[in-house]
Amino acid sequence: MRILLDSFTKTFGDVTVIKDMNLDIKSGEMLALLGPSGCGKSTTLFAICGIHGMDGGRLLFGDKDVTSLPSQKRNVGVVFQNYALYPHMNVWENIAFPLKIQKRSKAVIEKEVQAMAELVQIEELLDRKPVQLSGGQQQRVALARALVRKPDILLLDEPLANLDAKLRLEMRSEIRRIQQQTGITAVLVTHDQVEAMSMCDRIAIMNGGKIVQLSAPEEMYRNPSSDFVAGFLGNPPIAFLEGVIKDSHCHLHGGETRVALNGHAQKVSDGQKIKLGIRPEFFRPEFDLKVKGKISFIEAHGRENLYDVVLDNGDILRSIQNHDAQYQLGQEVTWGICQDNILAFDGEGERL
Amino acid sequence: MKKPSHLLGLGFMLPALIVVVLFFLLPVFMTAGIAFTNMSTDTGITGGAYELTPNTIHNLRTQGVDNNLLAQLETDVYRIDEPGLAALATDMGDKLAKELGDTHGGVTFQSRRELERAIKKLKNKPRSTRKLKKAAAFFKRSILNQRFETESEFVSATRNLGLDLAPEHQEVLSKASYTGWTWTTENFSLMTKLPSTLRIAGNTVIYVFFTLTFNVSFGLFLAITTFYLPGKAAATFRTIWFLPRILPPVIYVLMWKWLTWDTGFISTFFGQFGVPAKNWMLDTNFHAWVVIILINGFVGASMGMILFSSAIRAIPAPMLYASEVDGATRWQQVRYIILPQLRWPILFITSYQTLSLLTSFEYIFLATDGGPGKATEVWALSAFHQALANYGGNLQYGYGAALALVLVIIGIIASVGYLRVFNFKELVARPRIEQ
Repeated sequence: MRILLDSFTKTFGDVTVIKDMNLDIKSGEMLALLGPSGCGKSTTLFAICGIHGMDGGRLLFGDKDVTSLPSQKRNVGVVFQNYALYPHMNVWENIAFPLKIQKRSKAVIEKEVQAMAELVQIEELLDRKPVQLSGGQQQRVALARALVRKPDILLLDEPLANLDAKLRLEMRSEIRRIQQQTGITAVLVTHDQVEAMSMCDRIAIMNGGKIVQLSAPEEMYRNPSSDFVAGFLGNPPIAFLEGVIKDSHCHLHGGETRVALNGHAQKVSDGQKIKLGIRPEFFRPEFDLKVKGKISFIEAHGRENLYDVVLDNGDILRSIQNHDAQYQLGQEVTWGICQDNILAFDGEGERL
Repeated sequence: MKKPSHLLGLGFMLPALIVVVLFFLLPVFMTAGIAFTNMSTDTGITGGAYELTPNTIHNLRTQGVDNNLLAQLETDVYRIDEPGLAALATDMGDKLAKELGDTHGGVTFQSRRELERAIKKLKNKPRSTRKLKKAAAFFKRSILNQRFETESEFVSATRNLGLDLAPEHQEVLSKASYTGWTWTTENFSLMTKLPSTLRIAGNTVIYVFFTLTFNVSFGLFLAITTFYLPGKAAATFRTIWFLPRILPPVIYVLMWKWLTWDTGFISTFFGQFGVPAKNWMLDTNFHAWVVIILINGFVGASMGMILFSSAIRAIPAPMLYASEVDGATRWQQVRYIILPQLRWPILFITSYQTLSLLTSFEYIFLATDGGPGKATEVWALSAFHQALANYGGNLQYGYGAALALVLVIIGIIASVGYLRVFNFKELVARPRIEQ
């Protein structure tokens, strides 16, 4: 079911957390609300499920205006960060709870719970209490409980934050599988760009209560609209160089290096300050725009090594290369930047 | 290093130990001890003396002691002995005394007339009848209303009467005439016999059951309703409902009295509608019970409210959100999510308040003092009345202590039971509400 937030505003006391936000989520889509903590992504999620009221704007599920509907009547399933399972009920009772509330017949409840348990693969755990479950199992129960009454929308609030690294990987694909299998419209709130990129059809990246960019993960990575987006996506993160425009070239601070600005130059005038974003995979020995520097840090990732290179002017570039390249800490290197893939931003951080 | 740290631990424990010994163990042991005595205002709490009073004789007679013997004890006899003769000598001259000693020394006369007749026959007899009577009076020997500090003095005094008592009779007599307290189990047999025991036991059950029910349900009601109120309003209501607890009991109960007096608020208010004024607290037994339960209930409910409130707030907020998005209404949320998680606090309050209500009587004492009649006299209040505020004026320390001891025993058994139920170790180990 399509979700439409229309100039949504939320205030807590005197503080306006979100102002006039618009968001259109397509039916059957899984969308990530990505951003640093405090950016308003959970607030948006709580507004969609009705736990927090909205202080302005409209919320539409499909064609239905649910702005003033209490959460009980919105038919949304929510998975909370700490799963919020009911500790005094066993797994079966937890999953059955939304149906029990609706006073459905015993046979129906039995059937639906069984089906859900199969979907999330916890059939053998139905008699256990939540405390007897591992994090991943609790997560599956929470998912089953959210989905059992066939909600129009599934909301996931940092569902993987409490899991260890390996389980996180497993549950990532598991949640995506279940979402695709049920075809439900889902919103995932996360601060982890890897989660957002790997699980979702589209990402809405938020900062300071605003959606900064809304696009597919690949597009967002390649084509960020601002330095904030560029910096938030990508691991290891992008490196920024500051410089000044002169003769359609960018002169890096305090150094000799000039970077030609293909295509971007028209938009800027001489003397303007700009910022160049260079992702680690585009700073390697084989590229042609050479810069000199000294290796200040080496991080082994197994398949690859990450190098921090300090340039003459003190700026740092990051490079990711195959592990077989043998470089030493403190070594002077002259590596190249892939000129086609430089992301240029103006003084305000807007993409050029 | 080990020893000083041990001492430190002891140092920290010491105040607690002193308090436990002084205010728990000592009273309990004293209660247990006194429960097996017949201490009262009559006997005093120190030792006693031996004194045969007409009352004692009467009691012995009802107990079926030989009537002849008792008659002998009651009547005065006249015995010519050295102290009598000496007194006579100083008052009426040596001659008379000597002659009487020579002729009748050691003789016992059963009545004054016999002695007077004997004196009249003497050469040195007194001239006037008045003097004769006075002389005879020196030899009057009676055991009635005389104090003897020890039993042996008492026994020799009975011998002096010329009574020849069998040892078993002597023993009964000594026991009956002892004025101090003695060890006895009579308190408990008396307790099983008296119909008032059943009455106060029944009253206690009514008191504990209804007050507890009110406490817990009203405490729950307040905790849940204030939980759903916005912060400031909730805090205000909690403070208002907490007032009965922080108010001095005397003032709190005085306000209830003021409310229920026949010139009080309720009477005045209903007077507007033509309802005749009456004392709404003491009008009937039912009225008294309702007021007693409300007085105690409002105090107890505040404690439940605080405990339940904090327990509800300890429930993680997402769990309540979850139940809301799962479709649960407020009532269903209370019924299925909040109440089941309050199981332990409710059990705790119930057991704790059962114990404290069993032994508490101060609000009843201040409000109705057990009235009207003995309608609201509970066990603890009865123990207090018997031992320390007896209407008859004769404070029955022994019987009161015996009543109190029963409460102590019930309390200890119940505490042990509760600790078992709660699995105390588990209870102190980890909060229950966390997932």
